[in-house]
Amino acid sequence: MDPLLQHLERFSEVLSVSRTPHVSTWDQATVRRALQWARYLRHVYQRFCSHESIRTTLDRQLHSLRKEGGLGAGTVPGLTNFEALAHCDILLSLRLLKNPALGDAACHYLLQQLFPGRGVPDADGETLQDSLASLARRGSAVHMLRFYGYRENPNLQEDSLMKTQAELLLERLQEVGKAEAGDPGKLLCSLWERLPQNNFLKVVAVALLEPQLSPRSQGEALELGSPQILREGSQDLVHWLLGKSEIMGAFCRNVPAGLLTSVASRHPALSHAYLSVLTDWSRHLHYDLQKGVWVGAESQDVPWQELYTRFQSLCQAPPPLKDEVLTALKSYKAQDGDFEVPGVSIWTDLLLALQSSA
Amino acid sequence: MAQESGDLVSDCQFWLQKLSGWDQASTLETQQDTCLHLPRFQEFLRQMYEALKEMDPDTIMERFPTVRQLLAKTCQNPFILAYDESQKIVIWCLCCLINKEPQSTAESRLNSWVQGLLLHILSPFRFDVKEVGLFTQCLGYDPVDYYPGLLKNMVLSLVSELRENHLNGFNTQRRMAPEQVTSLSRICVPLVTLPDFEPLVEALLTYHGHGPQEVLWPQFFEAVSEAFLLKKMSLPASAVISLWLRHLPSLEKATLHLFEKLFSRERNCLRRIECLIKDSLLPQAACHPAVFRIVDEMFRCALLETDGAPEVLAALQVFTRCFLEALEKENKQLKFAFKAYLPYAPPPLATVLLQLPADLPQGCWLQPLQHISQLLREAVEAQAHGSHQGPLESWFLLAHFGGWADMAAEQLLRSEADPPAALLWLLAFYYSPREGGPQRARTMVQVGAMLHRLRQLSARGRLLARDLQAATGERSPADPSTPACGPLVRRLLLGFLLGTPEGRTIAREAVASMAHTQDRTREVIGVLDQTLSRWGRLGVEAPSAGALTRALLEELRAQVQ
Repeated sequence: MDPLLQHLERFSEVLSVSRTPHVSTWDQATVRRALQWARYLRHVYQRFCSHESIRTTLDRQLHSLRKEGGLGAGTVPGLTNFEALAHCDILLSLRLLKNPALGDAACHYLLQQLFPGRGVPDADGETLQDSLASLARRGSAVHMLRFYGYRENPNLQEDSLMKTQAELLLERLQEVGKAEAGDPGKLLCSLWERLPQNNFLKVVAVALLEPQLSPRSQGEALELGSPQILREGSQDLVHWLLGKSEIMGAFCRNVPAGLLTSVASRHPALSHAYLSVLTDWSRHLHYDLQKGVWVGAESQDVPWQELYTRFQSLCQAPPPLKDEVLTALKSYKAQDGDFEVPGVSIWTDLLLALQSSA
Repeated sequence: MAQESGDLVSDCQFWLQKLSGWDQASTLETQQDTCLHLPRFQEFLRQMYEALKEMDPDTIMERFPTVRQLLAKTCQNPFILAYDESQKIVIWCLCCLINKEPQSTAESRLNSWVQGLLLHILSPFRFDVKEVGLFTQCLGYDPVDYYPGLLKNMVLSLVSELRENHLNGFNTQRRMAPEQVTSLSRICVPLVTLPDFEPLVEALLTYHGHGPQEVLWPQFFEAVSEAFLLKKMSLPASAVISLWLRHLPSLEKATLHLFEKLFSRERNCLRRIECLIKDSLLPQAACHPAVFRIVDEMFRCALLETDGAPEVLAALQVFTRCFLEALEKENKQLKFAFKAYLPYAPPPLATVLLQLPADLPQGCWLQPLQHISQLLREAVEAQAHGSHQGPLESWFLLAHFGGWADMAAEQLLRSEADPPAALLWLLAFYYSPREGGPQRARTMVQVGAMLHRLRQLSARGRLLARDLQAATGERSPADPSTPACGPLVRRLLLGFLLGTPEGRTIAREAVASMAHTQDRTREVIGVLDQTLSRWGRLGVEAPSAGALTRALLEELRAQVQ
């Protein structure tokens, strides 16, 4: 095991360096060695991809290697996880090709190695050349689908870009969760700080809706999107959302009503928090007698229409969520004095509006 | 070499013009035209590569001054890069342009330009979705890590939309507009052989829009058909059948493809024929009457063209058997009447013929055989008077069910009594449908006489080969043989040799003298193969007969190799 771990470490360094100007010192021999290592590690992947325990150990090792560097905060990531070994040769090749610092001779050698031309069958099936050609082909496929066949699915949880991001997030969370001293919460916080919040929150919502796990058979290879990964990651997400009120608030604000209702149906802890956020928002509104509508005092207060939309969506959810919401609304209405007249208690008005639309 | 590159130079010009016209394949017309030319263009690229790899970069620029432009434009066209191996060949061509040791800045710049194009081809996303890029970067993922998952999700999303369309009917919010479906089918044309696309191809093939017109692009069907026949993609049977039902040329191509394999130079044994036919999925598809009729028609044409060649006949019979098996397995609620499959067959005849011989115990064959013979005779004699089709319609119908002819032969050989005229007529008709009345009568007499003599010989006990010669009258010049006689007589003789203990003792010798030419040998092989196959299916094999037949078959096969 130890020599393997050393190889991993060394290759990870190589992979990091391949993006830096340091490659200007590489000659043909260096390139050849690097490619050989990559090829060896790809074999390692194929051998061990269905051995859970070895995967986990290697994953842990890679994670601890990355820990100091953090996530792209200045240093260049090397090997990120065991899964990356499957195509580490492609990763290396592309990074080298993209790197303008690579010398002419080394670059020429690299191209000769990558694209030797016709008909050199490789012992282990698909050659690097074929993998790269396949990459190009699939890239074109994605491009064509995107430009000629794709429109954003109105149902966000089925949108492919959203789903892919969600799957990646869950995979990372699971890895971090399994590593020693791994802290999923910290990862999420750092993402929260660095990423556009709107998109990130939507991805989180979609991630929370990924299909529930099915019992995983022994030795089944983990792939992106496999159910086992998904369940574990979502607990971390729920935990994180509930951690800070401002995050939960932003979550409820930014994620569309329908999606949020689905999330709440799936995760009871979130549904309680959602409800209290909505309650809070509602209490900020007061009735404008002249205009005959409920308005907020400040610009950041959530308007009536949005409140109503969200409550409406919740009331269309399957029970028990629907019943919980209605019960809550009715009890607030009762607390306010149980008026039937509009304009006095926002709860009355909400219930009236909901009933008339039902 | 100069000649070749001259041709290539003009080809270059041609394709450069084409590419400029296609621009980036942005309009429907350019997409359509691009798809039409994809295979030819790939061939051109291959030829270019073969030429370029022999030259150094300077020579290349001299001989093909427009090559850079050509390759650059190719890289802008996603349809081309998506097709088959084109992207690989383009990469190879580009690599030929690289200077190993650039002497000038111009050469260095050329190198960088080539590298840039290579990266452009290899980088999976040529569109920029900023949020996604940033997100994945923050998580430490490279595009290489997640693009397969993204492609899978995109395909799944489209598949579920297509299926949803089916179920939701008039829910317009979820519906995909017909133009979008057409557009999708167009995109699939270069990509049918990509395994990730298989679910999408399948969903499109089984997609039924709400209008009467076909919404899928015709080239899509062609691309799928070709990829499937060349085994470059795998599809479930339901999708293939859907393809054939919606696109007639695909069905015809599939049948011709099967015929090519069946009727190749080397004669296939029955078991192999059955495998080939079952693998082709045509018997299953033929449960749809429309498909059956088309395939049947093609068999008919093949029989007419080859004048009833035995291998075509054998294939037709195997196909019919496989078809009936498939029909049995279909648990469709609406079963078509047999008339839908065989509209020109008189219903009573069709019904009797379709009875499976295995269902009838051996002792009860005579009655149905006589019935068939009678019905056929009536039909033939009616057709002879005036119908331009002649007796061939009836013969074609009978040809589907060769088992009955075999049964008639067996019945004749086994029975002690005088051979019934009906059976003689049936066999004479089967082996030579074109004979006129008088000729057929003569055949029947000759065959009857032969059977009589064989029976006498077997009653005597030990047989000698020359006895047989006399019995069959093969070498007798005095008796002018009718065309039916030869094959029919040989068939009966073989049946006799294998079916009786006395016959088996001299079988080897007799067969050796029969198989004195390649053609005769093949004929005997065919009969032996059919016999074994039939015994196997009906379970009526006598162990000694089986062993002997197999041995003879092996020896004869070795002779024709």
